[in-house]
Amino acid sequence: MAGAAESILALTGKRTTGQSIRSQNVTAAVAIANIVKSSLGPVGLDKMLVDDVGDVIITNDGATILKQLEVEHPAGKVLVELAQLQDEEVGDGTTSVVIVAAELLKLADELVKNKLHPTTVINGYRLACKESVKYLNENLSFPVEELGRQSLVNAAKTSMSSKIIGPDSDFFSEMVVEATELVKVTDSATGKITYPIKAINVLKAHGKSARESMLIKGYALNCTVACQGMPLHIKDAKIACLDFSLQKAKMHLGISVVVEDPAKLEAIRREEFDIVKRRIEKILAAGANVILTSGGIDDLCLKMFTEAGAMAVRRCKKADLKRIAKATGATLTCSLANLEGEETFEASQLGHADEVAQERISDDELILIRGPKSRTASSIILRGANDTMLDEMERSVHDSLCVVRRVLESGRLVAGGGAVEAALNVYLEAFATTLSSREQLAVAEFAQALLVIPKTLSSNAARDATDLVAKLRAFHHKAQQNNKLAHLKWAGLDLENGEVRDNKECGVLEPAMSKVKSIKFATEAAITILRIDDLIKLDKEEPRGGDECGM
Amino acid sequence: MAPAAPAVPTAAVKSGRDSNFKDKEKSGSVRNSNIVAAKAVADAVRTSLGPRGMDKMIQSGNGDVTITNDGATILNQMSVIHPTAKMLVELSKAQDIEAGDGTTTVVVIAGALLDAAQKLLVKGIHPTAISESFQRAASQAEVILQNMATPIDLANDELLVKLATTSLNSKVVSQHSWLLAPMAVNAVKKVLDDSRPDNVDLKSIKIIKKMGDTVEESEMIDGALIDQKTMGRGGPTRVEKAKIALIQFQLSAPKTDMENQVIISDYAQMDRALKEERQYLLDLCKQIKKSGCNVVLIQKSILRDAVSELSLHFLAKMKIMVVKDIERDDIEFYSNILGCRPVASPDHMVPESLGSADLVEEISTGGDGKVIKVTGIQSSGPAVSILLRGSNKLVLEEADRSLHDALCVIRCLVKKRFLLPGGGAPEMEVACRLREKANERGGAEQYCWRAFADALELVPYTLAENAGLSPIHTVTELRTQHANGHANFGVNVRKGFVTDMKEENVVQPLLVSYNAIKQAAECVRSILKIDDIV
Repeated sequence: MAGAAESILALTGKRTTGQSIRSQNVTAAVAIANIVKSSLGPVGLDKMLVDDVGDVIITNDGATILKQLEVEHPAGKVLVELAQLQDEEVGDGTTSVVIVAAELLKLADELVKNKLHPTTVINGYRLACKESVKYLNENLSFPVEELGRQSLVNAAKTSMSSKIIGPDSDFFSEMVVEATELVKVTDSATGKITYPIKAINVLKAHGKSARESMLIKGYALNCTVACQGMPLHIKDAKIACLDFSLQKAKMHLGISVVVEDPAKLEAIRREEFDIVKRRIEKILAAGANVILTSGGIDDLCLKMFTEAGAMAVRRCKKADLKRIAKATGATLTCSLANLEGEETFEASQLGHADEVAQERISDDELILIRGPKSRTASSIILRGANDTMLDEMERSVHDSLCVVRRVLESGRLVAGGGAVEAALNVYLEAFATTLSSREQLAVAEFAQALLVIPKTLSSNAARDATDLVAKLRAFHHKAQQNNKLAHLKWAGLDLENGEVRDNKECGVLEPAMSKVKSIKFATEAAITILRIDDLIKLDKEEPRGGDECGM
Repeated sequence: MAPAAPAVPTAAVKSGRDSNFKDKEKSGSVRNSNIVAAKAVADAVRTSLGPRGMDKMIQSGNGDVTITNDGATILNQMSVIHPTAKMLVELSKAQDIEAGDGTTTVVVIAGALLDAAQKLLVKGIHPTAISESFQRAASQAEVILQNMATPIDLANDELLVKLATTSLNSKVVSQHSWLLAPMAVNAVKKVLDDSRPDNVDLKSIKIIKKMGDTVEESEMIDGALIDQKTMGRGGPTRVEKAKIALIQFQLSAPKTDMENQVIISDYAQMDRALKEERQYLLDLCKQIKKSGCNVVLIQKSILRDAVSELSLHFLAKMKIMVVKDIERDDIEFYSNILGCRPVASPDHMVPESLGSADLVEEISTGGDGKVIKVTGIQSSGPAVSILLRGSNKLVLEEADRSLHDALCVIRCLVKKRFLLPGGGAPEMEVACRLREKANERGGAEQYCWRAFADALELVPYTLAENAGLSPIHTVTELRTQHANGHANFGVNVRKGFVTDMKEENVVQPLLVSYNAIKQAAECVRSILKIDDIV
């Protein structure tokens, strides 16, 4: 039928329908998941990706790996998008979400092959997803206050454990938590507390070892002073943040300068300079001794700053300037014009900091703004042996920052190391038996699919997956059967020793929100792919073909 | 479809004269190939019919992927070549425009009718006779549908929500129908214009899609949404007691025409030129400020920059929020919803042209996405905004299409305030009644009417098939029920057997089925009339 229809339909492309497309989609999804599978968990391995220009990336981060792959298959693309979504929404757990989604699809495909209608499977999955999120929120999570600040550090540590900075996780987790706490913002209008981790400037500097990385309570700016003659160290700094160039004034398009008298030429040149000179004088008169601008500064103008003993920095990134302005209380000024049509610069537009200094870190020089007045800020300078390592460190730190933020904002944690998945598996299997419809099978498979996490964790750690997971499930079964043994529900895997232990006690923690979202996203993605029973692939359009099939 | 119909016969006549060497079988084979092609299209979308219908994934030539369940979208994306296949695509588009929903149904019915016609042709009935009988059968079907429909009161929210739910049930977002259905109902009711009570302008419902979060986070905003960022530069991102101006002029330095140039020959003039620009912009900004406005929406401009750095700076200083790049098409919508008059010249900036709202606020939608939300609008016109969220682009777009369908369903009801049961009940009822009436007819027409009736049964048949039920068993059961006078019985895909659809709250507007049958029959007639392709 499908074959006949294809020829009659006269499409400019190929059409695949029914079971074959479903299997094809599932195969593509599983193939994607297999790529990232071995990077899951504290003992997961890294991938080296070399792109067509020859750039090398070494990473353990699922989202980064998938982003670099050029996935052709549309179903595979759905999974890649899924990882990126998890990365944006949560920032961590990108690998696990892809693995779970692929496992869900694989098992659903089996069910469909056994003549269960896909819509029944979809319904079962939806039901299972809803149940597991409910159970997770009610029974498997606990508030941060229970363990205090240590839980934050532990959550950060868990996220780092799989990464290159894993061995130094004690050191980095403290740093990450402190950095996040420093950028706390309370919205004055709503009283909501947010942690904009984007405000944490993470800089990379070549050289030394990872442990020499440091946290700066202030802002580190990857720029240098514009001129050697300027002071490199200013105490009690008054900072002006400018968003325009301090260059010789240029006339607008459509205005041409016509000089007939050579004597006037000099006057015009001088005037060009004088316009900007007057501006600088106004800024200096307001008391500024540190001038940061996103534009350029002319040599002539530099001289003025040097003479005034002020520090001027040109070509700062605008995003940096915005944050500095916020931290120091300065106003990012894009024009000196005031409401009277004149140009002025007022002292109120200046920001304040205890100290602005240019310091040498390895080969690069950085400008550090310490002790900003209006708000605390933090920057992290990462050190490492080579660029690829630094990049990976940056990604890892970013992941941990996200985790800490999620914990702080949502305030709930779950035990890691496959504990949640195993508990949900046991719970859902019990739940499935209470259903008397066909959905039972799908719910049971959903439960089975979740086990892929502890299984992969243990096989990545070169442990006997079957053995460990069986033990783990036994613990959770006990915990759910017997109220007295409820503490066993924190049982998770100890991958270094190949045992089952209480992961809440050992500080293997993850934000509850990350788990909930990853279950939801994975289910949604699996359903999206499952619902497809037809793939129409259109041929590439002929370069300006005559007929109107271009849609 | 309408434009295709008249063109065809003339072409057929002309070529008939030219190609006298062709044998007599030509017209038969052309008709046959047309029918086969059109049927193939109908078959392609058949599996996506109904609440348990599957989705299609369509990858276009440039690699873009669409996942959808919406018949019109599928056909639109499929880029079929065969001219009659294209007619079916057009048919589904027509249904989309007229009713907005039932785009798959209409194609499935057309396919079934063609199949029936093919069989009748084999029997030796003349195409014209078939075509005319089909037309009469279709008009009879309309009468039957009208009879079985129940009038509805638009004030009955509960019922309207159920309707929207039925339409959403076949889509990816069906598990969110509890949220989207009431949203669609409220949105349409809001934009209902008292002066034109039997139509709704869906353009005044603005749907803004933003990635991130899940569909559950979607919301209808009692106010306006603007899919833009504020311009920043230290300007406010939150304005209470806002006075909103919608301006169509630019806040940037006037450019001289290409040929003209301002010539400066003295250094003192340079300073003046700069000062003049400042002064000009300042005057503009002051004029805005003077009218009491504190939020400015600026229309997108092609000729020159809508705002310059300098004017933004001034406006920020005056604590005026600036939003630029409002599309020209949206001007009407915003002026409607915000209750403000578009201002085309700075001289017309008067307090009367401003719209006022309690709060204008920039909200972040995760990542870099930001929208501007205007709430508490006074003197707001009939317009609403809906913020749609979704975890990935595909889901989001499908949610958008589904919501559009739901909105259309409600609109159908506004146009024609009658309800039908869903789940294939109307099609079955029409089939049953037509079969009875067929006996009163004589000659070939009786055959045609019967064939027409049989063709309509394909809808419940497909519904059952897609839901994984035994189609033959279900359809025969359904037929029995209808023969016994239970007109509201339909295929209950959730329970897996035949039940009273009204009790199950599966309802649909009359206009959808009405149009579907009418348009499908017309389309089939025009295909039947073709006897030559040149």
